[in-house]
Amino acid sequence: MINIEGLSFKYPNTSQYALENVDCQIKQGTLTLIIGPSGSGKSTFLRCINGLVPHFSGGTISGKIDVFGSDPINDGPEMLASNVGFVFQEPEAQFVFDIVEDEIAFALENMGVTRTEMHARVDEIIERLELSSIRYRSIHEISGGEKQKVAIASVLVTNPKVLLLDEPTSQLDPISADQILRLCVSLKKNTDLTILISEHRLERLLPYTDNVIKMNNDHNLNMGSPSQIIPHLQNLPPVVAIGKKLGLNPLPLTVEDFPKNVSSNRKPGIKLVQPVLQETNSESILEIKHLSAQFNQEPILKNISFSLKQSEILVLLGKNGSGKTSLLRSILGLMDSVGEKFFKSQNFSDLPITRILNQIGYLPQNPNDLLFAETILDELKITLKNHGLEKTDQDLIDFLQQFKLAEKLNQHPRDLSVGERQRVALATVTIHDPDIIFLDEPTRGLDYTAKNQLSLLFKEWRNFGKGILLVTHDVEFAAGLADRVVIIEAGKIIFNGSPADAFTKFPAFHTQTARIFKDSEMFLPEHVI
Amino acid sequence: MKNAYIWVLWLINTIIFVLSTRNPIYLLLVLIVLFTLGNHKAKAQHRKAWIGLNFRFLISMVLISSLVNGLFTHIGLTKLFQFPENWLLVGGDITLESLIYGAINGLIIGSLYLSINIFNLALSVKQLSRLIPRAFHPIGMTATLALTFFPSIQQRAREIKEAQMIRGNPMKKISDWLPILLPLIVTSLEDAIILSESMTSRGFHAVSRRNNANLAVISLVFGTFSIFSGWILNLYAYPQVISIFLYVVGGSIIILTLIKKGSEFKVTHYHQVPWQKIDILLSIVFLTSIILQIISAVFFENSFSYSPYPQLSMPSFNIGGVLLSAIPILPILVSDHD
Repeated sequence: MINIEGLSFKYPNTSQYALENVDCQIKQGTLTLIIGPSGSGKSTFLRCINGLVPHFSGGTISGKIDVFGSDPINDGPEMLASNVGFVFQEPEAQFVFDIVEDEIAFALENMGVTRTEMHARVDEIIERLELSSIRYRSIHEISGGEKQKVAIASVLVTNPKVLLLDEPTSQLDPISADQILRLCVSLKKNTDLTILISEHRLERLLPYTDNVIKMNNDHNLNMGSPSQIIPHLQNLPPVVAIGKKLGLNPLPLTVEDFPKNVSSNRKPGIKLVQPVLQETNSESILEIKHLSAQFNQEPILKNISFSLKQSEILVLLGKNGSGKTSLLRSILGLMDSVGEKFFKSQNFSDLPITRILNQIGYLPQNPNDLLFAETILDELKITLKNHGLEKTDQDLIDFLQQFKLAEKLNQHPRDLSVGERQRVALATVTIHDPDIIFLDEPTRGLDYTAKNQLSLLFKEWRNFGKGILLVTHDVEFAAGLADRVVIIEAGKIIFNGSPADAFTKFPAFHTQTARIFKDSEMFLPEHVI
Repeated sequence: MKNAYIWVLWLINTIIFVLSTRNPIYLLLVLIVLFTLGNHKAKAQHRKAWIGLNFRFLISMVLISSLVNGLFTHIGLTKLFQFPENWLLVGGDITLESLIYGAINGLIIGSLYLSINIFNLALSVKQLSRLIPRAFHPIGMTATLALTFFPSIQQRAREIKEAQMIRGNPMKKISDWLPILLPLIVTSLEDAIILSESMTSRGFHAVSRRNNANLAVISLVFGTFSIFSGWILNLYAYPQVISIFLYVVGGSIIILTLIKKGSEFKVTHYHQVPWQKIDILLSIVFLTSIILQIISAVFFENSFSYSPYPQLSMPSFNIGGVLLSAIPILPILVSDHD
């Protein structure tokens, strides 16, 4: 059992508590979901359980933590390694070695386990997590889902009693994310493992959750069963939102919990409406014809053709490694490709990147790569200078209003929250008023509030006539925005059509609403009245 | 050939030969051998780039070294032209011999660079970390990781450069590259912190007994002091036996301290170092070659060396030199095994 009493923690040189007077008990063999807005202390809470806080972070800590008889505050993370496994948000950054098998054995080597036992344990974990096919492969060559599995294997190999996962599915496509979560559940069942997962996308986790810990903005927490905590949240997962809308009691928390008579439209008094889809009749502003590209002599894009219209949000879906980011980079000229690219009927295939980027704003996956100036205002001025443009400070303040950043214009971008930093990055790539905006995984690591703010912003841009090409794994977010959907698989377009078809006919991209109301065209809670 | 110790012997042998011979024929032979081996070791999709990068480095070294030596060293009998004597440093004769001498230096630098690159290609991080004495495990492991961090930093730099281009930065002038620096430092530090957190939470540096750290430091200082004292006494013509005694005492203290300190780390190794017949054979070949070269350099005039001064002459060429030049190719003959 994990027992926490009166835990308070402050990071060095801060007066605010990251955790304040936290009490909770977590039973063995349970899966606990930790939720809360960005900056509420989810990661800090997890780090306290394995001793990274305060041993690694510094700071002031008080209270008691008991993790199956060990005291992380006194013992430190290296001594808890055999009892507590920690999987970080970005698997790539936590790997020590370059070969899968070596990475898995690392913790055992540190514990001084004999070679014979090490081989037996590595063999066992590789078999249990079905990693045999990639055992001897380089970590740099495997997919995102496989990397996350390797990260989990590398901590499970020590047979820990507790597994801590910090946003383990934030970079994964829905299928890979589901595989990881099912794996956690089977480990919990078969080995009595206690699992704590911090995650923003509740809809993914709730089916597997025993307890929920909700971190509050005052750095305290509420703990209870999902049915005690979830209905009181401000932003509800779609299935709960539909249940609430239909006045169901008890509220369903998962698709499986949803009453079958309601989902098959047999309950009197409940109607399901066909979604009214926005038809965009405007002209194409971007047209791609027969685009192909290679990476390391392997074809990664194969004869891609599609168009993007004015005032349209086109969502690009696909599994990890299917070629989505490569497609964006190829269009922008950031990687070599063959084929034709037209902007407002003018061929720009041979134009230099700087000329292309005058018309297309591009938000890459990591917004931190874009930001380096002292203030938000300076960031905007630098982009303007690069494009040979000038605007008054008042114009820039007005521009920042739409990003809800006007009051923070003199703050350092890196001092802002994840969501705010994402919006600063967006502002820096759109200040020159491009007609087209490419967005690559803009919701990565964002909480519901930050995602809602982004969603409103993108809709506003669409209404102003922009064409938006959005790449995302976040199916619910995509469904709320898409005017049209393109699905890409192994570098080929396999679908180009309406959101209703994309989110209801392709199981990998089903929304929760589509999973509840099978054989209908509903894919959003708004479609249910 | 996956035995890291044999690769260390290979590297020592190659470096000794490259540094001891200044014979351009043997150096060219070594370079051909190294390029062939590197081409074999590099991954198929990276071969072209690997060869291109190393070849460009070699050519630039030969040119720069030749130019620098030609300009600043005015020895040699074959005068090509003359700069006025009153020109600081470069004034005087520019000779063919000094240009050739510089070019040979370039060949040596290029060969060393290639050897180290092949060593890196041949061994994984895991194998490199295996070479670290256990007493230095934490610091050695950190240093190994720091070295392997360079490729990831290069990758990050490329991503950040791309991100800055997205903002309209043309990335043409040196000042255009400044925006890369800050994000690169910040993200590299963030990555390093995550890596160290990940390593610590997987038991890295979990020392079982920590209480004799000070004793180890005192012992190492005392051992070093003993060796240093022996050297000083030797300089002032004291009986050599005293110096030898101090060397032995100091060396023993250092070795015993390292063994004792190493035993505190209960680190084990997942892979057994392979010692197959071919590994033993190769070790014998490399060791013999190293010993022969050292004996040849200490006790005999090095028959493989060459100097273009005072007047350019044809370098010597014998079967012994050709054999020593060809020894670095041996790993190509051995299929990978573990």
